[in-house]
Amino acid sequence: MHFDPNINCPYASGTTAFGDVVLSSRARLARNLEGFPFVNSASVGDCEEVELLLAPACNCDDDFTLVWVDLHKLSKVERAMCAERHLISTNFADADNPRGVMVGPELARSIMINEEDHLRIQSIKPGLDLLNAHNDVMAMDQRMEKLVAYAFDEQLGFLTACPTNVGTGARFSVMMHLPALRITKGFRQLYNACEGMSIAIRGYHGEGSETIADLYQLSNQVTLGYNEEDLRSMLEDEFLPTVIENERNARMKIIEKYGAKLDDRVFRAQGILENATILPLDEAMDCLGRVRLGVSLERITNLEINTINQLFIDIQNGHLQWRYDGNLSEAELQEKRATLVKEKFAA
Amino acid sequence: MTTCDYCKRPAIYHDTRVSNGITKTVSLCEDHAKEAGIDIGPDGISISLTPEMMGFTFTPSISTCPDCGMALADYKEKALLGCPECYVTFKEQLIPVIANLQEKHTQHVGRSPRRASADIDRHIAIRRLLSDLERAVTQEAYEEAADIRDTLRDLHQKDDDSAL
Repeated sequence: MHFDPNINCPYASGTTAFGDVVLSSRARLARNLEGFPFVNSASVGDCEEVELLLAPACNCDDDFTLVWVDLHKLSKVERAMCAERHLISTNFADADNPRGVMVGPELARSIMINEEDHLRIQSIKPGLDLLNAHNDVMAMDQRMEKLVAYAFDEQLGFLTACPTNVGTGARFSVMMHLPALRITKGFRQLYNACEGMSIAIRGYHGEGSETIADLYQLSNQVTLGYNEEDLRSMLEDEFLPTVIENERNARMKIIEKYGAKLDDRVFRAQGILENATILPLDEAMDCLGRVRLGVSLERITNLEINTINQLFIDIQNGHLQWRYDGNLSEAELQEKRATLVKEKFAA
Repeated sequence: MTTCDYCKRPAIYHDTRVSNGITKTVSLCEDHAKEAGIDIGPDGISISLTPEMMGFTFTPSISTCPDCGMALADYKEKALLGCPECYVTFKEQLIPVIANLQEKHTQHVGRSPRRASADIDRHIAIRRLLSDLERAVTQEAYEEAADIRDTLRDLHQKDDDSAL
Protein backbone atom coordinates (compact mmCIF):
# COMPACT_ATOMS: atom_id res chain seq x y z
CA MET A 1 0.00 0.00 0.00
CA HIS A 2 1.32 3.43 -0.86
CA PHE A 3 0.87 5.95 1.91
CA ASP A 4 0.81 9.61 1.10
CA PRO A 5 0.16 11.31 4.42
CA ASN A 6 -0.39 14.61 2.64
CA ILE A 7 -3.66 13.50 1.03
CA ASN A 8 -7.06 13.55 2.67
CA CYS A 9 -6.03 14.29 6.22
CA PRO A 10 -8.86 12.96 8.39
CA TYR A 11 -8.65 16.16 10.42
CA ALA A 12 -8.95 18.57 7.44
CA SER A 13 -11.88 20.30 9.10
CA GLY A 14 -10.73 23.88 8.46
CA THR A 15 -13.38 24.76 5.88
CA THR A 16 -16.26 22.76 7.42
CA ALA A 17 -19.15 24.31 9.34
CA PHE A 18 -18.04 23.27 12.83
CA GLY A 19 -14.39 22.70 11.97
CA ASP A 20 -13.18 25.10 14.65
CA VAL A 21 -14.38 22.61 17.30
CA VAL A 22 -14.83 19.23 15.59
CA LEU A 23 -11.76 17.76 13.87
CA SER A 24 -13.24 14.51 12.58
CA SER A 25 -16.19 12.12 12.69
CA ARG A 26 -16.03 8.35 12.67
CA ALA A 27 -18.67 5.64 12.28
CA ARG A 28 -17.84 2.04 13.10
CA LEU A 29 -19.73 -1.26 12.92
CA ALA A 30 -18.67 -4.44 14.75
CA ARG A 31 -19.57 -7.72 13.02
CA ASN A 32 -18.78 -11.42 13.46
CA LEU A 33 -19.21 -14.51 11.31
CA GLU A 34 -21.72 -17.16 12.26
CA GLY A 35 -20.13 -20.47 13.25
CA PHE A 36 -16.66 -19.10 14.03
CA PRO A 37 -15.22 -18.46 17.50
CA PHE A 38 -14.60 -14.79 18.32
CA VAL A 39 -11.02 -13.69 17.70
CA ASN A 40 -9.97 -13.92 21.38
CA SER A 41 -10.60 -17.68 21.37
CA ALA A 42 -9.97 -18.41 17.68
CA SER A 43 -7.13 -20.57 16.41
CA VAL A 44 -4.69 -19.37 13.75
CA GLY A 45 -6.61 -21.57 11.28
CA ASP A 46 -9.93 -19.94 12.21
CA CYS A 47 -8.46 -16.45 11.70
CA GLU A 48 -7.04 -17.47 8.31
CA GLU A 49 -10.40 -18.92 7.22
CA VAL A 50 -12.15 -15.68 8.19
CA GLU A 51 -9.63 -13.73 6.09
CA LEU A 52 -10.19 -16.05 3.10
CA LEU A 53 -13.97 -15.76 3.37
CA LEU A 54 -13.87 -11.96 3.44
CA ALA A 55 -11.03 -11.27 0.99
CA PRO A 56 -13.27 -11.36 -2.16
CA ALA A 57 -14.78 -8.05 -0.98
CA CYS A 58 -11.64 -6.44 -2.46
CA ASN A 59 -12.42 -7.82 -5.95
CA CYS A 60 -15.46 -5.59 -6.29
CA ASP A 61 -15.12 -2.21 -7.94
CA ASP A 62 -18.68 -0.85 -7.99
CA ASP A 63 -18.93 2.47 -6.16
CA PHE A 64 -15.86 2.23 -3.95
CA THR A 65 -12.60 0.32 -3.91
CA LEU A 66 -11.01 -1.58 -1.07
CA VAL A 67 -7.41 -2.80 -1.06
CA TRP A 68 -6.37 -5.77 1.06
CA VAL A 69 -3.36 -5.11 3.31
CA ASP A 70 -1.80 -7.99 5.26
CA LEU A 71 -0.67 -6.52 8.59
CA HIS A 72 2.18 -9.05 8.81
CA LYS A 73 3.63 -7.67 5.58
CA LEU A 74 3.69 -4.09 6.82
CA SER A 75 6.71 -2.73 8.65
CA LYS A 76 6.36 -1.57 12.25
CA VAL A 77 6.50 2.03 11.01
CA GLU A 78 3.72 1.46 8.46
CA ARG A 79 1.54 -0.21 11.11
CA ALA A 80 2.13 2.73 13.44
CA MET A 81 1.17 5.15 10.64
CA CYS A 82 -2.10 3.28 10.03
CA ALA A 83 -2.92 3.57 13.74
CA GLU A 84 -1.96 7.26 13.84
CA ARG A 85 -4.31 7.87 10.87
CA HIS A 86 -7.01 5.97 12.84
CA LEU A 87 -7.32 3.44 10.00
CA ILE A 88 -6.66 0.71 12.55
CA SER A 89 -6.56 0.54 16.35
CA THR A 90 -3.29 0.56 18.28
CA ASN A 91 -4.01 -2.92 19.70
CA PHE A 92 -4.61 -4.21 16.18
CA ALA A 93 -1.30 -2.75 14.97
CA ASP A 94 0.60 -4.63 17.69
CA ALA A 95 -1.31 -7.97 17.74
CA ASP A 96 0.24 -11.17 16.37
CA ASN A 97 -2.74 -13.22 15.11
CA PRO A 98 -3.45 -13.46 11.34
CA ARG A 99 -5.12 -10.15 10.54
CA GLY A 100 -5.52 -7.69 7.75
CA VAL A 101 -7.16 -4.44 6.87
CA MET A 102 -9.13 -3.47 3.78
CA VAL A 103 -8.45 0.17 3.01
CA GLY A 104 -10.04 2.61 0.60
CA PRO A 105 -7.41 4.46 -1.48
CA GLU A 106 -8.79 7.73 -0.10
CA LEU A 107 -7.68 6.50 3.36
CA ALA A 108 -11.10 7.16 4.89
CA ARG A 109 -12.79 3.75 4.65
CA SER A 110 -11.27 0.71 6.33
CA ILE A 111 -12.28 -2.72 7.56
CA MET A 112 -10.13 -4.39 10.19
CA ILE A 113 -10.29 -8.18 9.88
CA ASN A 114 -9.70 -10.17 13.09
CA GLU A 115 -9.53 -7.27 15.53
CA GLU A 116 -11.60 -7.86 18.70
CA ASP A 117 -14.43 -8.78 16.32
CA HIS A 118 -14.03 -10.48 12.93
CA LEU A 119 -14.92 -7.21 11.21
CA ARG A 120 -14.58 -3.64 12.38
CA ILE A 121 -16.01 -1.58 9.52
CA GLN A 122 -15.26 2.13 9.77
CA SER A 123 -15.18 5.43 7.96
CA ILE A 124 -13.64 8.69 9.10
CA LYS A 125 -14.59 12.12 7.72
CA PRO A 126 -13.18 15.59 8.39
CA GLY A 127 -15.27 17.90 10.58
CA LEU A 128 -18.75 17.05 11.88
CA ASP A 129 -20.06 14.58 9.30
CA LEU A 130 -21.33 11.44 11.00
CA LEU A 131 -24.11 11.18 8.43
CA ASN A 132 -21.74 10.50 5.54
CA ALA A 133 -19.45 8.35 7.66
CA HIS A 134 -22.54 6.28 8.50
CA ASN A 135 -23.51 6.04 4.82
CA ASP A 136 -20.01 4.73 4.05
CA VAL A 137 -20.07 1.99 6.67
CA MET A 138 -23.57 0.89 5.64
CA ALA A 139 -22.37 0.49 2.03
CA MET A 140 -19.36 -1.56 3.18
CA ASP A 141 -21.59 -3.61 5.50
CA GLN A 142 -23.92 -4.46 2.63
CA ARG A 143 -20.98 -5.58 0.50
CA MET A 144 -19.69 -7.85 3.27
CA GLU A 145 -23.04 -9.41 4.11
CA LYS A 146 -23.30 -10.71 0.55
CA LEU A 147 -20.24 -12.82 1.32
CA VAL A 148 -20.88 -14.19 4.80
CA ALA A 149 -23.62 -14.90 7.33
CA TYR A 150 -23.23 -12.60 10.30
CA ALA A 151 -23.67 -13.87 13.85
CA PHE A 152 -27.08 -12.41 14.69
CA ASP A 153 -29.76 -12.99 17.30
CA GLU A 154 -33.35 -11.74 16.95
CA GLN A 155 -33.31 -10.39 20.52
CA LEU A 156 -29.73 -9.20 20.92
CA GLY A 157 -28.95 -8.15 17.35
CA PHE A 158 -25.41 -8.44 15.97
CA LEU A 159 -23.38 -10.60 18.37
CA THR A 160 -20.00 -9.18 19.39
CA ALA A 161 -17.10 -10.45 21.50
CA CYS A 162 -17.81 -7.76 24.10
CA PRO A 163 -21.44 -7.20 25.13
CA THR A 164 -20.77 -3.42 25.18
CA ASN A 165 -21.04 -3.55 21.36
CA VAL A 166 -23.95 -5.98 21.00
CA GLY A 167 -27.11 -4.94 19.12
CA THR A 168 -26.33 -2.54 16.31
CA GLY A 169 -22.57 -2.89 16.81
CA ALA A 170 -22.55 0.80 15.87
CA ARG A 171 -20.23 3.31 17.47
CA PHE A 172 -20.27 6.95 16.36
CA SER A 173 -17.49 9.18 17.60
CA VAL A 174 -16.13 12.66 17.05
CA MET A 175 -12.74 14.17 17.84
CA MET A 176 -13.28 17.57 19.45
CA HIS A 177 -11.00 20.42 20.49
CA LEU A 178 -12.39 21.79 23.77
CA PRO A 179 -9.73 24.06 25.32
CA ALA A 180 -12.12 26.81 26.41
CA LEU A 181 -14.50 24.48 28.24
CA ARG A 182 -11.54 23.16 30.20
CA ILE A 183 -10.14 26.62 30.97
CA THR A 184 -13.52 28.00 32.07
CA LYS A 185 -14.26 24.90 34.13
CA GLY A 186 -17.20 23.96 31.94
CA PHE A 187 -16.25 20.30 32.03
CA ARG A 188 -18.33 19.32 35.04
CA GLN A 189 -21.43 20.39 33.15
CA LEU A 190 -20.24 18.54 30.05
CA TYR A 191 -19.55 15.34 32.02
CA ASN A 192 -23.01 15.51 33.60
CA ALA A 193 -24.64 16.05 30.21
CA CYS A 194 -22.65 13.12 28.75
CA GLU A 195 -23.73 10.87 31.60
CA GLY A 196 -27.38 11.83 31.11
CA MET A 197 -27.23 10.98 27.41
CA SER A 198 -24.99 7.87 27.78
CA ILE A 199 -22.19 9.54 25.85
CA ALA A 200 -18.61 8.50 26.62
CA ILE A 201 -15.91 11.16 26.76
CA ARG A 202 -12.35 9.92 26.32
CA GLY A 203 -8.82 11.15 25.64
CA TYR A 204 -7.08 11.48 22.27
CA HIS A 205 -6.24 7.79 21.92
CA GLY A 206 -9.66 6.54 23.01
CA GLU A 207 -10.51 4.26 25.92
CA GLY A 208 -8.26 4.68 28.93
CA SER A 209 -6.07 7.32 27.29
CA GLU A 210 -5.01 10.65 28.71
CA THR A 211 -6.07 14.03 27.48
CA ILE A 212 -3.62 15.58 25.02
CA ALA A 213 -3.87 19.10 23.57
CA ASP A 214 -7.48 19.43 24.84
CA LEU A 215 -8.55 16.88 22.22
CA TYR A 216 -11.40 14.59 23.29
CA GLN A 217 -13.34 11.75 21.69
CA LEU A 218 -17.08 11.71 22.34
CA SER A 219 -19.07 8.61 21.39
CA ASN A 220 -22.32 6.76 22.07
CA GLN A 221 -22.02 4.26 24.93
CA VAL A 222 -25.19 2.32 24.21
CA THR A 223 -25.45 0.14 21.10
CA LEU A 224 -28.67 -1.81 21.87
CA GLY A 225 -32.28 -0.64 22.03
CA TYR A 226 -31.98 2.13 19.40
CA ASN A 227 -31.60 1.85 15.66
CA GLU A 228 -28.42 3.01 13.95
CA GLU A 229 -29.89 6.23 12.62
CA ASP A 230 -31.25 7.22 16.05
CA LEU A 231 -27.85 6.60 17.66
CA ARG A 232 -26.18 8.83 15.05
CA SER A 233 -28.82 11.53 15.29
CA MET A 234 -28.81 11.64 19.10
CA LEU A 235 -25.09 12.43 19.01
CA GLU A 236 -24.79 14.58 15.88
CA ASP A 237 -28.12 16.44 15.83
CA GLU A 238 -29.18 16.56 19.47
CA PHE A 239 -26.10 16.49 21.67
CA LEU A 240 -23.13 17.95 19.84
CA PRO A 241 -24.64 21.29 18.69
CA THR A 242 -24.95 22.35 22.34
CA VAL A 243 -21.40 21.24 23.14
CA ILE A 244 -20.08 23.17 20.13
CA GLU A 245 -22.07 26.26 21.11
CA ASN A 246 -20.85 26.05 24.72
CA GLU A 247 -17.23 25.74 23.57
CA ARG A 248 -17.60 28.71 21.23
CA ASN A 249 -19.27 30.81 23.96
CA ALA A 250 -16.50 29.86 26.39
CA ARG A 251 -13.91 30.99 23.83
CA MET A 252 -15.64 34.38 23.55
CA LYS A 253 -15.79 34.64 27.32
CA ILE A 254 -12.04 34.03 27.52
CA ILE A 255 -11.36 36.80 24.97
CA GLU A 256 -13.55 39.25 26.88
CA LYS A 257 -12.36 38.46 30.38
CA TYR A 258 -8.84 37.09 30.02
CA GLY A 259 -7.61 38.41 26.65
CA ALA A 260 -4.06 39.16 27.83
CA LYS A 261 -3.72 35.75 29.50
CA LEU A 262 -5.05 34.02 26.40
CA ASP A 263 -2.57 35.84 24.15
CA ASP A 264 0.27 34.95 26.50
CA ARG A 265 -0.61 31.24 26.39
CA VAL A 266 -1.11 31.24 22.64
CA PHE A 267 1.99 33.22 21.64
CA ARG A 268 4.25 31.42 24.13
CA ALA A 269 3.19 28.15 22.50
CA GLN A 270 3.78 29.61 19.03
CA GLY A 271 7.20 30.81 20.17
CA ILE A 272 8.16 27.32 21.33
CA LEU A 273 6.98 25.70 18.11
CA GLU A 274 8.78 28.25 15.91
CA ASN A 275 12.04 28.20 17.82
CA ALA A 276 12.56 24.94 19.68
CA THR A 277 15.20 22.61 18.28
CA ILE A 278 14.10 19.65 20.42
CA LEU A 279 10.39 18.84 20.73
CA PRO A 280 9.05 15.93 22.80
CA LEU A 281 5.69 14.67 21.48
CA ASP A 282 3.59 15.70 24.49
CA GLU A 283 4.98 19.24 24.52
CA ALA A 284 4.48 19.61 20.76
CA MET A 285 0.87 18.39 20.97
CA ASP A 286 0.14 20.69 23.91
CA CYS A 287 1.61 23.73 22.10
CA LEU A 288 -0.27 22.86 18.88
CA GLY A 289 -3.50 22.73 20.89
CA ARG A 290 -2.88 26.23 22.26
CA VAL A 291 -1.89 27.63 18.85
CA ARG A 292 -5.04 26.05 17.36
CA LEU A 293 -7.13 27.99 19.85
CA GLY A 294 -5.26 31.18 18.84
CA VAL A 295 -5.87 30.51 15.14
CA SER A 296 -9.58 29.78 15.64
CA LEU A 297 -9.97 33.07 17.56
CA GLU A 298 -7.93 34.96 14.93
CA ARG A 299 -5.24 35.93 17.45
CA ILE A 300 -2.84 34.23 15.03
CA THR A 301 -3.61 35.08 11.41
CA ASN A 302 -0.66 33.69 9.47
CA LEU A 303 -1.53 30.01 10.04
CA GLU A 304 -4.39 27.84 8.77
CA ILE A 305 -6.34 25.55 11.10
CA ASN A 306 -5.71 22.68 8.67
CA THR A 307 -1.94 23.14 9.03
CA ILE A 308 -2.28 22.56 12.77
CA ASN A 309 -4.72 19.67 12.28
CA GLN A 310 -2.37 17.93 9.85
CA LEU A 311 0.55 18.42 12.23
CA PHE A 312 -1.33 16.59 15.01
CA ILE A 313 -0.83 13.49 12.84
CA ASP A 314 2.45 14.32 11.08
CA ILE A 315 4.42 14.76 14.32
CA GLN A 316 3.49 11.31 15.65
CA ASN A 317 6.42 8.88 15.83
CA GLY A 318 5.33 6.58 12.96
CA HIS A 319 4.77 9.44 10.54
CA LEU A 320 8.10 11.04 11.47
CA GLN A 321 9.98 7.76 10.99
CA TRP A 322 8.35 7.36 7.57
CA ARG A 323 9.01 10.94 6.48
CA TYR A 324 12.69 10.85 7.40
CA ASP A 325 13.07 7.28 6.16
CA GLY A 326 14.98 6.13 9.15
CA ASN A 327 15.26 4.18 12.31
CA LEU A 328 15.38 7.28 14.47
CA SER A 329 16.11 7.22 18.20
CA GLU A 330 13.82 9.13 20.57
CA ALA A 331 16.35 12.01 20.70
CA GLU A 332 16.51 12.15 16.89
CA LEU A 333 12.71 12.04 16.64
CA GLN A 334 12.47 15.07 18.92
CA GLU A 335 14.90 17.00 16.71
CA LYS A 336 13.12 16.01 13.48
CA ARG A 337 9.77 16.95 15.02
CA ALA A 338 11.06 20.45 15.79
CA THR A 339 12.43 20.77 12.24
CA LEU A 340 9.15 19.65 10.65
CA VAL A 341 7.01 22.02 12.74
CA LYS A 342 9.29 24.95 11.89
CA GLU A 343 9.07 24.09 8.18
CA LYS A 344 5.27 23.87 8.21
CA PHE A 345 4.91 27.10 10.18
CA ALA A 346 7.19 28.94 7.76
CA ALA A 347 5.42 27.63 4.63
CA MET B 1 -4.19 -31.83 21.58
CA THR B 2 -6.79 -33.84 23.46
CA THR B 3 -9.68 -31.84 24.83
CA CYS B 4 -11.73 -32.34 27.98
CA ASP B 5 -14.67 -34.77 27.72
CA TYR B 6 -16.96 -32.18 29.27
CA CYS B 7 -15.82 -29.00 27.50
CA LYS B 8 -13.44 -28.06 24.71
CA ARG B 9 -10.56 -26.84 26.84
CA PRO B 10 -7.20 -28.70 26.82
CA ALA B 11 -7.22 -31.90 28.89
CA ILE B 12 -4.52 -32.13 31.55
CA TYR B 13 -5.68 -35.41 33.10
CA HIS B 14 -6.13 -38.73 31.29
CA ASP B 15 -7.19 -42.09 32.74
CA THR B 16 -7.43 -45.19 30.55
CA ARG B 17 -8.90 -48.49 31.81
CA VAL B 18 -9.61 -51.84 30.20
CA SER B 19 -12.60 -53.77 31.44
CA ASN B 20 -14.03 -56.91 29.80
CA GLY B 21 -11.96 -56.15 26.73
CA ILE B 22 -13.35 -52.59 26.40
CA THR B 23 -10.94 -49.64 26.71
CA LYS B 24 -12.34 -46.48 28.26
CA THR B 25 -10.47 -43.19 28.56
CA VAL B 26 -11.42 -40.17 30.59
CA SER B 27 -9.83 -36.82 29.65
CA LEU B 28 -10.40 -33.77 31.86
CA CYS B 29 -9.41 -30.11 31.84
CA GLU B 30 -8.00 -28.46 34.96
CA ASP B 31 -11.38 -27.20 36.25
CA HIS B 32 -13.25 -30.45 35.68
CA ALA B 33 -10.35 -32.46 37.09
CA LYS B 34 -10.49 -30.35 40.26
CA GLU B 35 -14.25 -30.79 40.45
CA ALA B 36 -13.80 -34.55 40.12
CA GLY B 37 -11.57 -34.50 43.20
CA ILE B 38 -8.22 -34.86 41.47
CA ASP B 39 -5.62 -32.98 43.42
CA ILE B 40 -3.55 -30.66 41.22
CA GLY B 41 -0.63 -29.43 43.29
CA PRO B 42 2.29 -27.25 42.26
CA ASP B 43 4.30 -30.34 41.29
CA GLY B 44 1.60 -31.75 39.03
CA ILE B 45 -1.23 -34.18 39.57
CA SER B 46 -1.60 -36.62 42.42
CA ILE B 47 -4.44 -38.98 41.67
CA SER B 48 -7.15 -39.74 44.17
CA LEU B 49 -10.16 -40.97 42.23
CA THR B 50 -13.65 -40.53 43.53
CA PRO B 51 -16.18 -43.37 43.29
CA GLU B 52 -17.91 -41.41 40.53
CA MET B 53 -14.71 -41.35 38.56
CA MET B 54 -14.19 -45.06 39.00
CA GLY B 55 -17.64 -45.72 37.54
CA PHE B 56 -17.37 -43.06 34.84
CA THR B 57 -20.64 -41.49 35.98
CA PHE B 58 -19.21 -38.05 36.62
CA THR B 59 -21.66 -35.22 35.95
CA PRO B 60 -20.07 -31.77 35.78
CA SER B 61 -21.72 -28.76 37.34
CA ILE B 62 -19.43 -26.18 35.68
CA SER B 63 -21.35 -24.92 32.68
CA THR B 64 -19.29 -24.38 29.55
CA CYS B 65 -20.14 -23.34 26.02
CA PRO B 66 -20.51 -26.42 23.81
CA ASP B 67 -18.97 -24.61 20.83
CA CYS B 68 -15.87 -22.94 22.30
CA GLY B 69 -15.57 -24.43 25.79
CA MET B 70 -15.67 -21.08 27.54
CA ALA B 71 -16.86 -21.03 31.15
CA LEU B 72 -18.64 -18.03 32.64
CA ALA B 73 -15.62 -17.46 34.89
CA ASP B 74 -13.54 -16.83 31.73
CA TYR B 75 -15.93 -14.03 30.74
CA LYS B 76 -15.67 -12.48 34.18
CA GLU B 77 -11.90 -12.48 33.80
CA LYS B 78 -11.58 -11.25 30.18
CA ALA B 79 -14.86 -9.34 29.69
CA LEU B 80 -15.04 -11.05 26.30
CA LEU B 81 -17.19 -13.95 25.15
CA GLY B 82 -15.69 -16.87 23.22
CA CYS B 83 -18.14 -17.31 20.34
CA PRO B 84 -21.68 -16.45 19.20
CA GLU B 85 -23.01 -19.62 20.87
CA CYS B 86 -21.89 -18.25 24.29
CA TYR B 87 -24.81 -15.81 24.05
CA VAL B 88 -27.17 -18.81 23.90
CA THR B 89 -25.38 -20.90 26.54
CA PHE B 90 -25.14 -18.10 29.11
CA LYS B 91 -28.21 -16.10 28.08
CA GLU B 92 -29.80 -16.24 31.52
CA GLN B 93 -26.67 -14.88 33.22
CA LEU B 94 -25.78 -12.43 30.43
CA ILE B 95 -29.12 -10.62 30.05
CA PRO B 96 -28.75 -8.73 33.39
CA VAL B 97 -25.11 -7.88 32.48
CA ILE B 98 -26.22 -6.57 29.06
CA ALA B 99 -29.11 -4.61 30.61
CA ASN B 100 -26.62 -2.98 32.96
CA LEU B 101 -24.24 -2.06 30.11
CA GLN B 102 -26.96 -0.98 27.67
CA GLU B 103 -29.15 1.43 29.66
CA LYS B 104 -31.54 -1.42 30.58
CA HIS B 105 -32.17 -2.29 26.91
CA THR B 106 -32.35 -5.98 26.06
CA GLN B 107 -34.09 -5.90 22.66
CA HIS B 108 -32.42 -5.05 19.36
CA VAL B 109 -34.38 -2.61 17.19
CA GLY B 110 -31.78 -1.82 14.52
CA ARG B 111 -31.27 -3.37 11.13
CA SER B 112 -31.06 -7.11 10.48
CA PRO B 113 -28.62 -8.74 8.09
CA ARG B 114 -29.77 -9.88 4.67
CA ARG B 115 -29.20 -13.56 4.16
CA ALA B 116 -29.88 -14.29 0.52
CA SER B 117 -26.75 -15.06 -1.39
CA ALA B 118 -24.93 -18.03 -2.84
CA ASP B 119 -21.82 -16.83 -1.04
CA ILE B 120 -23.48 -17.37 2.31
CA ASP B 121 -24.05 -21.01 1.33
CA ARG B 122 -20.31 -21.14 0.65
CA HIS B 123 -19.59 -19.69 4.14
CA ILE B 124 -21.81 -22.36 5.72
CA ALA B 125 -20.26 -25.13 3.57
CA ILE B 126 -16.76 -24.03 4.60
CA ARG B 127 -17.81 -23.91 8.26
CA ARG B 128 -19.17 -27.47 7.99
CA LEU B 129 -15.98 -28.70 6.30
CA LEU B 130 -13.87 -27.14 9.07
CA SER B 131 -15.87 -29.05 11.70
CA ASP B 132 -15.43 -32.25 9.68
CA LEU B 133 -11.70 -31.55 9.42
CA GLU B 134 -11.40 -31.07 13.19
CA ARG B 135 -13.23 -34.35 13.81
CA ALA B 136 -11.13 -36.23 11.23
CA VAL B 137 -7.87 -34.97 12.78
CA THR B 138 -9.08 -35.87 16.30
CA GLN B 139 -9.94 -39.38 15.09
CA GLU B 140 -6.59 -39.56 13.28
CA ALA B 141 -8.44 -40.18 9.99
CA TYR B 142 -5.70 -38.49 8.00
CA GLU B 143 -6.81 -39.58 4.52
CA GLU B 144 -10.26 -38.13 5.11
CA ALA B 145 -8.64 -34.96 6.53
CA ALA B 146 -6.52 -34.59 3.38
CA ASP B 147 -9.66 -34.92 1.19
CA ILE B 148 -11.43 -32.25 3.25
CA ARG B 149 -8.42 -29.93 2.91
CA ASP B 150 -8.51 -30.41 -0.87
CA THR B 151 -12.22 -29.54 -0.97
CA LEU B 152 -11.54 -26.42 1.14
CA ARG B 153 -8.71 -25.41 -1.17
CA ASP B 154 -11.00 -25.83 -4.20
CA LEU B 155 -13.65 -23.62 -2.60
CA HIS B 156 -11.12 -20.89 -1.89
CA GLN B 157 -9.64 -21.26 -5.39
CA LYS B 158 -13.10 -20.49 -6.74
CA ASP B 159 -13.09 -17.26 -4.69
CA ASP B 160 -9.88 -16.12 -6.34
CA ASP B 161 -11.26 -16.80 -9.83
CA SER B 162 -14.53 -14.93 -9.45
CA ALA B 163 -15.18 -11.36 -8.41
CA LEU B 164 -18.33 -10.36 -6.57
